Amino acid sequence: MELEKLSATELTARFSAKEISAKEIAEATLTNIATKEPQVDAFLELSHELACARAKELDEALAKGEELGPLAAVPMAYKDNMHLVGTRTTCASKMLGNYDSLFNASCVERTLQAGAIPVGKTNMDEFAFGSSTESSAFKTTKNPWDLSRVPGGSSGGSAAAVAAKEVPLALGSDTGGSIRQPASFCGVVGLKPSYGVVSRYGVVAFGSSLDQVGPFARTVEDVALAMDALVAGGRDAFDSTSQAVVPNFREALLHPILEEARPRRVGIIPELLQQEALTSEVKAALIGTMEALEAAGCELHELSLEHMKAAISAYYVIAPAEAFSNLARFDGVRYGYQVAGAKTLAEQSAKSRALGFGEEAIRRQMLGAYILSSGVYDELYVPAQKVRTLITEDYTKAFEQVDVILMPSAPTVAWKFGTMDDPTAMYASDLFTISNNICGNCGISVPVGLGKDSHMPIGVQLQGPAFKDAELLRWSAAIETLRCEIAGIDPLGEPSFGGVA
Amino acid sequence: MRLTKDDVKGIADYARIALDESSLDAMTEYMNSAIDLLDEIKQFDIEGVEPTFHPIGSLVNVMGDDVEIDTRALSLDEALHNAASTHERSFRVPSILGDDGGDR
Repeated sequence: MELEKLSATELTARFSAKEISAKEIAEATLTNIATKEPQVDAFLELSHELACARAKELDEALAKGEELGPLAAVPMAYKDNMHLVGTRTTCASKMLGNYDSLFNASCVERTLQAGAIPVGKTNMDEFAFGSSTESSAFKTTKNPWDLSRVPGGSSGGSAAAVAAKEVPLALGSDTGGSIRQPASFCGVVGLKPSYGVVSRYGVVAFGSSLDQVGPFARTVEDVALAMDALVAGGRDAFDSTSQAVVPNFREALLHPILEEARPRRVGIIPELLQQEALTSEVKAALIGTMEALEAAGCELHELSLEHMKAAISAYYVIAPAEAFSNLARFDGVRYGYQVAGAKTLAEQSAKSRALGFGEEAIRRQMLGAYILSSGVYDELYVPAQKVRTLITEDYTKAFEQVDVILMPSAPTVAWKFGTMDDPTAMYASDLFTISNNICGNCGISVPVGLGKDSHMPIGVQLQGPAFKDAELLRWSAAIETLRCEIAGIDPLGEPSFGGVA
Repeated sequence: MRLTKDDVKGIADYARIALDESSLDAMTEYMNSAIDLLDEIKQFDIEGVEPTFHPIGSLVNVMGDDVEIDTRALSLDEALHNAASTHERSFRVPSILGDDGGDR
């Protein structure tokens, strides 16, 4: 039995049916990861001891007939900005290179409560600043579909680990597209839940009004499984923005949207298809998906989101400003990198920050410091928050007309290493994902196939209204069902790399 | 408005990041190109529009009960564990006021 090919849902079912032990699952997973890691480099740290101890507990609990959680015996990976006791939490930064987790992040804790086997921490762009995972201070994660290409980012390690079948499930975080874009690049499903659905407690903050944790998996059903575990237990008292959400994600999938009699309305935005940055193969994938939905009986409605074009500007005001204030805590005193020999505290902080942070982390904080400085604050920061209101109103109006909006996840497929060297050009590649974070709505990338030219995965993005996450998953399942009927692209298939299928 | 190298030096001081002379040129170039990207927000009519500082508009300040929550409290050893330099029960830092007593 090839365990790596099983979904999380299948794995936990086989474990519960006593067809396979948690020990076997943990050992097979770690062996499999050891084989693939030299090529993929998705992980910053593997947690062998935690995984083996957890497997032992699970096997004992099953033998005693104890009740098991929905993720029982599912191997999971966590982005390295999430605290997991027994591992370091480095944010892929030299600043936190030796930082030991002192408590579990709530999202991590809830998956552990649900029975997950923690196998390790995944690579990311440093402090989540980036779209390719190349700004990691420690290693370069490769795209399992083509090792000469980036996995996307910032949650590139989590996306690559799932695509390479190292784990069936991983958590990432999304501040401007950091789950959906790598999901698209790696041919996996990636959900950015509505803001407030998943607790941010214990996840190193980037943009506090934008950050949201969500799962990567190879099937929509597995994403639903993870979501049920992440929201179980209601609102998290440790995150004041956490909301109570009913864990009905798997239940929602039992009622396929394509079998409903009511009008099912999909919004499309014609002006987005005219974007210069959009490549012909991504455009073909989107048009193919639109046609397949229409053929399946859905109505397509043309929408205009007038202020969406300002989303990138608004985001690159709001996100660096929030990042600058969040990252001010790294002063090298209580934790983090500290230079030796400084004469004053101010000198020690300034030098520790200059040497502990990488280039992009410094750039973002410099931009944030500028935006929050006197005068500029009124000229840029406040207007950006007003534009945020306008973008949110556009979406509110749009969702009165449609159930869900279909658009690309990213304008291109995964690019080759070394071909994106202008940081501000990379910022512009987030144009389809960013508005979702600005409004707090939910969004997901669902893989539809391989581009005809690049033979690389392409995902389409669905965006839904805030707190309609379960509905969004029903729509995602519909796209998954229609996948083989989408014209203009090649079938998704599976990645094979370096002779390891 | 273009930022000068001196402006950027001032921002770096404010951000407590000790940029060396050699990296200031590249940073100045970056800052100006990033600021160009932000100009788009100025082209919309925002007169009378209320700002949205947070996506959950109905948020109110959450006050906890005034009780100790054991699960969140770090022990002294844990709290000091990740510090580069400690002394007995404390974090150790260099002089805060500086040798001349005049530093920030």
